[in-house]
Amino acid sequence: MPGPYGKDVMKCPLETRENREILVAYSSRALNGGDTERLEAHLQSCSACREFVREQRAVWEALDGWEAAPVSTDFDRRLFARIEGETSWWQRMTGPLGFQLVYRALLPVTAVACLVVVGVLLERPSPPIVRPQPTAQVVEGLQPKQVVDALDEMEVLDQFNHLMKPDSSTPRM
Amino acid sequence: MGGATAALDYDAELMLRVKDGDGASFAELLEKHRSPVVHFLYRMVQQQAVADELAQEVFLRVYRSRGTYEPTAKFTTWLFRIATHLALNALRDGRNERSQERLDERTGDMPTLQVADRRPSVEQVMVRQATLDEVRRAVAELPGKQRAAVLMHKYREMEYTQIAKVLNCSESAVKSLLFRAYETLRARLAHMA
Repeated sequence: MPGPYGKDVMKCPLETRENREILVAYSSRALNGGDTERLEAHLQSCSACREFVREQRAVWEALDGWEAAPVSTDFDRRLFARIEGETSWWQRMTGPLGFQLVYRALLPVTAVACLVVVGVLLERPSPPIVRPQPTAQVVEGLQPKQVVDALDEMEVLDQFNHLMKPDSSTPRM
Repeated sequence: MGGATAALDYDAELMLRVKDGDGASFAELLEKHRSPVVHFLYRMVQQQAVADELAQEVFLRVYRSRGTYEPTAKFTTWLFRIATHLALNALRDGRNERSQERLDERTGDMPTLQVADRRPSVEQVMVRQATLDEVRRAVAELPGKQRAAVLMHKYREMEYTQIAKVLNCSESAVKSLLFRAYETLRARLAHMA
């Protein structure tokens, strides 16, 4: 299968600027089958390209030996702490990370609150029964001042009656 | 290619879920891309603390941008564009200015060398360490964009098209950047062959 570099006899990649990356691709073993065959045919007759490939493979292998440092163990913890620190309380409550937090935190709180309410309702004393009071007790409940005032009024009324109906024994003026 | 497309769709889908308020999807994206981003930044700035800090900033920006995210490009293109932008800024501002001095020191930043099968001798360790120092120096001497292009090409196996989108330049410009970068590296490291 012909590759992107054509199907004719390959010109020297080092002499054709637009195709020179084929040597890099070949050196890193990333070239497709058709182009590999054509380049290998060219390499048999081109010492400059052979030297290029040899050196490029040396570079490739040297880079292979460069291991990157491992990721720090608390990377995620620090990242999520920064995310939490940046978001407002409302975003925290409504945001994607906050949802889990709210879900986890509010569920037990709600359960405890429900238990407290049920407990309060069960332990609450029943309201006192209101019984109708007899009239006498109401009278008994009058204040002394009210009684004195009532007696005074009765006395005044009595005197008034005497004035309106004078007794015979009473001397006339 | 189908796998790449599926991966694209899945990452973009996850990010759209983050946009809709799904925190678990953000955690999944973080889990998937944390190491590639940290490793890329580490090789860019060559200082673990700075790389770590920049990677935190990358994911923070991803999270902050969730509301306006539109899947117009591959998620990894967008992610590495943010990472590259931050790394180039850090290099320009000299945030890793001590990194070159540190190359001359033995610090805790350097990962341990891994030699397969047998336990290496002291001499082997020293040779490997010297080789590694030379590689690091050679990469550190590349201009920022060339360095980013090489790291994405070599370690992320990105295609020219994607690197071009990350670096916001043409595909031919990327080919040129890579060719010049490898030319410099060959001059520095070819004797190792």
